[in-house]
Amino acid sequence: MSEPLVFLMGQYPAPLPVDRSYARNHMWALRRPDGWRFGFTAYAVRLLQDVYFLDWTVEPGAELRERQPIGSIESKKAESELYAPIAGRLARLNESLMADPSSINVDTYERGWLFEIEGSGQSLLSAGQYVAHLDEVWEITQRTIKGQLNE
Amino acid sequence: MTRRIAVVVSQGQSASPARRRLEEEIVAGLLERPGLDVTILPHLYDLQADSTGVLALQGIVGDMIVLAWLYPRAAFWTLDRQGIRGQLGATRIKGADEDAADEEEDADRDEAAGGAADGPRDAPPPVEHSRGAAGRRIYCLDLRARDDARSFLEEIDRLTEEARVQVTDLIGWVGGTPRREALQRYLTPSHHAPPTSGNGNGSPTRAEGNGDGGRGQHALGAGSPAQAQPAEAGPGNHRATDEQAPVRRWYPVIDFSRCTNCMECIDFCLFGVYGIDRAETILVEQPDNCRKGCPACSRVCPENAIIFPQHKAPAIAGGSVQQASLKIDLSRLFGAPDASADPLQVAARERDEQLLLAGRPAVGTAVGMPPRRERPVDQPPDELDQLIDRLDELDI
Repeated sequence: MSEPLVFLMGQYPAPLPVDRSYARNHMWALRRPDGWRFGFTAYAVRLLQDVYFLDWTVEPGAELRERQPIGSIESKKAESELYAPIAGRLARLNESLMADPSSINVDTYERGWLFEIEGSGQSLLSAGQYVAHLDEVWEITQRTIKGQLNE
Repeated sequence: MTRRIAVVVSQGQSASPARRRLEEEIVAGLLERPGLDVTILPHLYDLQADSTGVLALQGIVGDMIVLAWLYPRAAFWTLDRQGIRGQLGATRIKGADEDAADEEEDADRDEAAGGAADGPRDAPPPVEHSRGAAGRRIYCLDLRARDDARSFLEEIDRLTEEARVQVTDLIGWVGGTPRREALQRYLTPSHHAPPTSGNGNGSPTRAEGNGDGGRGQHALGAGSPAQAQPAEAGPGNHRATDEQAPVRRWYPVIDFSRCTNCMECIDFCLFGVYGIDRAETILVEQPDNCRKGCPACSRVCPENAIIFPQHKAPAIAGGSVQQASLKIDLSRLFGAPDASADPLQVAARERDEQLLLAGRPAVGTAVGMPPRRERPVDQPPDELDQLIDRLDELDI
């Protein structure tokens, strides 16, 4: 398998495997027979750090539009709403994360997957495109986070 | 005999070690103090009406200090909903508003309301005015407001002193000493059933009596279904079917100091959450009909009287807008829509999303929408708002 691309967040190299696609809201997307499996990218996980709680407001079978709110997450560093990365039918949630979401941290690109959506995923990016996207947003993301932390 | 004061610690919902530690340190400090009846409960908002946790709270007479991971206003009206009523006592811990050490309850309440909806209120009076005042005080402390146990313990000492001076008679308290093992149980909780415990001997709470049968947690979404006492497993009981996943509830809490019984919410909500009582006062009749994550009715409430304590936006969660979260909010990064949209449009969109999820047709703004009105802007945008606006522009 090809080496992953790396995006450097300060000292931290966020690996981005090239065997999959990416959503602009910082999720990876792996092709499944009937759609896509999604999980947080190393970039998102680095910002979140240890995940303590994951909560979904939608159930499998739900028809989602892109950016529809679908749940929330609490981690060491952040609390956040979560949104659908693409439009489609929610096929599956990773139930194993409900009791213990730590796989998101320890196995971000495999066992830490979040959910599967049946949809075309036209809006997804390649790893290279995602890195370009991160290049664009990294500066202001840092400033925003610092701004929040210094409040 | 000295008057005993009830202190309730409502635990956080997640396994956050920092939160757990703060709770533990506070409880340890409380147990060293004589004259306090300490009760530890799971998260206040998640308690079912017939849970032992609520029964324990209902058994508390006299003043009460409540520590929860909730804005004080949210905690107070969550208790009110469970029939635990009083006056919201003024405290000196007010989240990030360090300088706001005012004593006046009314000022306190207005401030907690985020200054929103303070427009002309000459028309209908709040429902609270017709309910009559409850005698005792309920002091609510937001555990997110400080990260050290000492601040909370000092404030509890101050409030305890205040309450002792204030009161002349003693209503039905039986003395007792907090038990050591209560602390021990707290410090080494079993994974899924955080302990409810620690009343003085003979304290009128029932959590104690159920100490061995699921520790009074059966209805609390923390899952020990096998031990649920049938007598208390009412119809609204969450079954906690998934033993491993804590259940976070989601429903509106009405602030009756603001609510004018205008019925906009009951018209707007299409899921049958709201109802009216025999006095024709609005109430949250079917909380579990509420659609998880949807705060739409709070946006149509003209008095900002509907609280969703778990919502991200402090104005909806019962807080002051200035109150900064201890954690950063990454929602924009994960795709949150523009927050500056018209609240009524947002409400209609949120409601439509829920209707579609429930397999029903969307209705847009055609049903149950209040007449368009001027809504006061909560706060001028601060530096952070501007930064976040710039994030939006970049479409992260």
